[in-house]
Amino acid sequence: MRRGTGTWRRTSDGAMNPGVAIAALAVVSVATAVIGFYGLRISRTTGDFYVASRTVRPWWNASAIGGEYLSAASFLGVAGLILLSGTDALWFPVGYTAGYLMLLLFVAAPLRRSGAYTIPDFTEARLDSRAVRKVTSLVVVLVGWLYIVPQLHGAALTIRITTGLPSWVGSVAVVIVVCLTVVAGGMRSITFVQAFQYWLKLTALAVPILFIVFVLAGNGTPALSPPAVNPTNLAPAGVYQNVSLLVALLFGTLGLPHVLVRFYTNPDGHSARRTTLIVLGLLSVFYLFPTAYGLVGRMFAPGLARANQADAMVLLLPAELVGGAAGDLLSAFVVAGAFAAFLSTTSGLVVSLAGVISQDVLGAGVGGFRLAAVISIVVPLAFASMTDSLALAGSVGLVFAFTASTVCPVLLLGIWWRGLTDAGAIAGMLTGGVLCGGAMIAGAVAGAANLAPWLAQPAAWTVPAAFAVMVVVSRATVRRVPKTMSRVMTRLHTPERPLATER
Amino acid sequence: MSRVRVTAPRSAALPPRDSREAAQDSEVGQVFVRSLIRSQLRLALVVAAGFLLILGAFPLLLGVVPGLRETRIAGIPFDWLLLGAGIYPLTGLSAWLYIRTAARNEARYRDLAKDQ
Repeated sequence: MRRGTGTWRRTSDGAMNPGVAIAALAVVSVATAVIGFYGLRISRTTGDFYVASRTVRPWWNASAIGGEYLSAASFLGVAGLILLSGTDALWFPVGYTAGYLMLLLFVAAPLRRSGAYTIPDFTEARLDSRAVRKVTSLVVVLVGWLYIVPQLHGAALTIRITTGLPSWVGSVAVVIVVCLTVVAGGMRSITFVQAFQYWLKLTALAVPILFIVFVLAGNGTPALSPPAVNPTNLAPAGVYQNVSLLVALLFGTLGLPHVLVRFYTNPDGHSARRTTLIVLGLLSVFYLFPTAYGLVGRMFAPGLARANQADAMVLLLPAELVGGAAGDLLSAFVVAGAFAAFLSTTSGLVVSLAGVISQDVLGAGVGGFRLAAVISIVVPLAFASMTDSLALAGSVGLVFAFTASTVCPVLLLGIWWRGLTDAGAIAGMLTGGVLCGGAMIAGAVAGAANLAPWLAQPAAWTVPAAFAVMVVVSRATVRRVPKTMSRVMTRLHTPERPLATER
Repeated sequence: MSRVRVTAPRSAALPPRDSREAAQDSEVGQVFVRSLIRSQLRLALVVAAGFLLILGAFPLLLGVVPGLRETRIAGIPFDWLLLGAGIYPLTGLSAWLYIRTAARNEARYRDLAKDQ
């Protein structure tokens, strides 16, 4: 544990004013809660509560997807990793974006047309099996928990760096705000909150970096080091690691539970596709800015890469390079954006997890949903407080590897292959889960420094293994292909009535 | 404010059958459906393969052409520009092409199903 050591604080005049950070944090939390409660007043029916009645317009929906998707890893982690490893790390934003292209190509419209609300609903309907539903639910809950942990780590880091308060304050603040909004509002209010948070995050990254670049250019400040120079002694990633990372990110996006649930809020398959196209545009614009932070950081503040401050680089850069009152103001902006990132991703995950847990474990009722929401965030909180934050982008990358090895094969084969059986789906998901989970545990035990590349980035072999097992076992159990298969496949792939699609 | 109770898993996610399925119960209907699925899958695979090929060509290009890494445009090194910004238009273009063609496949299917 490195907490509480003085190394986090800048010794130069780059120290941030804690009051400014706390004010920014308070404003974002209150705004989130207010929009959530406003949404509550217009969310009435079951459909509203779950999927916003499928009446959300593509632009709103796309903003909401962007808001939910851009997590701590995107907001803080990507820039930090670029600072550390330069152009190698550019594969992270590329993969996060291109994952949506894969989602569009293989999943978006059929999943919307399936009419199911969650991933377990989909697998149960497609394979006509309760057992598949149980296994899928288990996997989805695991994915969600794994994904929430880095968000809480990000919040802890932000609070520690910007205010000097103990790190648990950050995690607990996120947990409280998320519990309040999710328990009160359901999906409808979440849609508004998420859409608002995409634009907040974009502005909070864009304005400070543009200001910094203008100041640097105006002063004619010379670069401290060329961007190709590595500020630390880390070895560059090999080709295997880059490829494996891309596999994880490209196919992991397909299976993220909080992303998939958003597709049901489109009125039909065609608009699900259009929404995804807009999301691609929004993500492309967003990721230009973490890249810019990474590049500017490399050239003008390579010192931030040392002393384990890389993940906090986005938060520290304004004070470091601008300083004074303007620096404080820009820092407040970035802190607000960072908290928007933690809150939006966490609440999206909690909504989808609470849906799964309340339906499959607790059963019944809004009370069950609330209890499930609390469970789905308290468990990762406990886990986050027991572990220390690794590189944020890296740990989120591992979660993508896990989804790519479990949920992704069952979705892809379920949508495109008539031969998938329940036995094959279960065997494949378990294989992928055990292999990838094993690699993650081995990595956590051995420590990141002395880890073989194939264990550090397992996706390149766990994903094919999961697919292979799923296909082979399905082939061996051909008689278990459900009788409803033909009807379900027709439903997944045929367009809705012409009126609904030709707009 | 009224609360709604959600009392059971949404296993009824697929309602009995709707009109578009009823129309497809015939042998011929199923042939159309199979051909639609095949063409959509082929389209998705082609777009994905094309995208990944170009994506793979980017670092290859940087490795093969000498001096390209050091080239600067408006002060930004070319490799940063290519990987950090150049890939996004490519994703958008692939997505747009896919959506257009997928909608065309569906229109063709709809015409066939209507004639039937």
